[in-house]
Amino acid sequence: DIYQIIHYSFCIWTIRNLRKCKKCQILAPCSQGSCLHTTAQLNTKNWDRKNRIVYPPQQKDEPPRPAEVFHCRRQIKYSKDKMWYLAKLIKGMSIDQALAQLEFSDKKGAIAIKEVLLEAQEMAVKNHNVEFKSNLYVAESFSGKGKYLKRIRYHGRGMFGIMDKVHCHYFVKLVEGTPPVVVQKTPFDQAKEYVEQLRSRTIIHSL
Amino acid sequence: MSLTGFVRFLRQSLQRLESDFIQAVGLDRSLGPALAVNGPSLLPQPNNSSEPSFLDSIFWMAVPKKRRTIEVNRCRRRNPNKMIKVKTNIEPCVQCGNLKLKHTLCGFCYEKIQKETSLIRRQIQNMEGRPLNTPAVETVVLFENETPGEADQGKRIVERSRKRPSWFNL
Repeated sequence: DIYQIIHYSFCIWTIRNLRKCKKCQILAPCSQGSCLHTTAQLNTKNWDRKNRIVYPPQQKDEPPRPAEVFHCRRQIKYSKDKMWYLAKLIKGMSIDQALAQLEFSDKKGAIAIKEVLLEAQEMAVKNHNVEFKSNLYVAESFSGKGKYLKRIRYHGRGMFGIMDKVHCHYFVKLVEGTPPVVVQKTPFDQAKEYVEQLRSRTIIHSL
Repeated sequence: MSLTGFVRFLRQSLQRLESDFIQAVGLDRSLGPALAVNGPSLLPQPNNSSEPSFLDSIFWMAVPKKRRTIEVNRCRRRNPNKMIKVKTNIEPCVQCGNLKLKHTLCGFCYEKIQKETSLIRRQIQNMEGRPLNTPAVETVVLFENETPGEADQGKRIVERSRKRPSWFNL
C-alpha cells in the first residue's frame, strides 16, 4: 500500500544519499565515497598509500622533483625503542652507506631494516622510475609501536605480572639524489642565536 | 605484583603501626588494668606482631621520589654514548667485492670456502667409513684431471669430481 511505498522509497533515498560516518556514528550526506569526516577509524595504513600519489607532468620551468619511495614493514618482533636507535643511525645516509652500517651492526632489528631497504630500492628501480639504484638516500626513517601480545610472568609468593611481547613497525622514505649536507650547529652558534633572539624582543604597547 | 595483595599488606602494616603508636602513647586501654593503679601505664606488651616479613621491610627500601619526566628520560636515552656509532672500518673485499670489516675475513669468501670444505670432509668420511679410522699419513686433495705429483707420494688422496677452484692453490 501507499505507506509501504513511501517507506521503501525513503529507505532507498537514505541508502543512496546518506551514509553512516564510521567515527562519529551519525548519518551524513555523502556521495561516491566522499565524506565530510575524512579521518576514519584508527586502522589507517597511510604509509603504504603514499606510494600511490601521482603528480601531473612537470613544466619546463619547474625545478625537478626527485622521486620518492615509501616502504614499511609491520609487526617486526623487536622493541620500538631499540629500533629507533637503528632508524636514527641511518637517517640522512645514502642507501649504500646505510646498508653497509646495517650489515655489520650486531642488533636484531638491523636484519629487518636491511631487508626493508633492499625491497624499497628494488621497488624504486622497478616501479618508480629511478635510474640508478645507488642514487637514493634515506630521507625519513622511524619506528612505531606494533600490536603487543600479553603473557603472564610468574613472580614469587603467588604474584604475577603481565608481560608484553613487543612488536614494532618500521617506516622508511627513500628519495632520489645525493643526501643533503646537514650543517652541524655548534653550541656557540646556538648560544649566539639565543642571545640574538632575546635582544630582538620588543615591548608591545610601549612609547 | 598483585595490586590487591600490595594494598592488603599496606593496610596491615598501617594498622600495626597505628597499634604500636597507641600502645607507646598509652591510650590503649585493652591490655592495662581497668582501675587506676600506681605504676607505669606502659606495661610490657607482648610482641603480637609476627617477625618482620619481607613485605614489611619493603617500607624501608630505596624508592623513586618523583616520576621521571619524558624530558629527563629523553636526555638519558638520546645521550650520544647510547646512540649507535657509525663504523668507519668497512671496506670492500678485494676478491669478491662484498663488504667486509678491515680486521675480519670476508663473509662471502669464507662461506664459499666452508661449502667446499664440507664437501671434502664428506668425501673423507665416505672413504674412512667409520669414526676413528684416520690413517697416519698426510692427505692431499686432487680435483678433476689431476695426477699426484712427486711430493704427493705416500699421502692419502681425496678425489673431488670438479674443476680446481681458482682460490684453492696447489
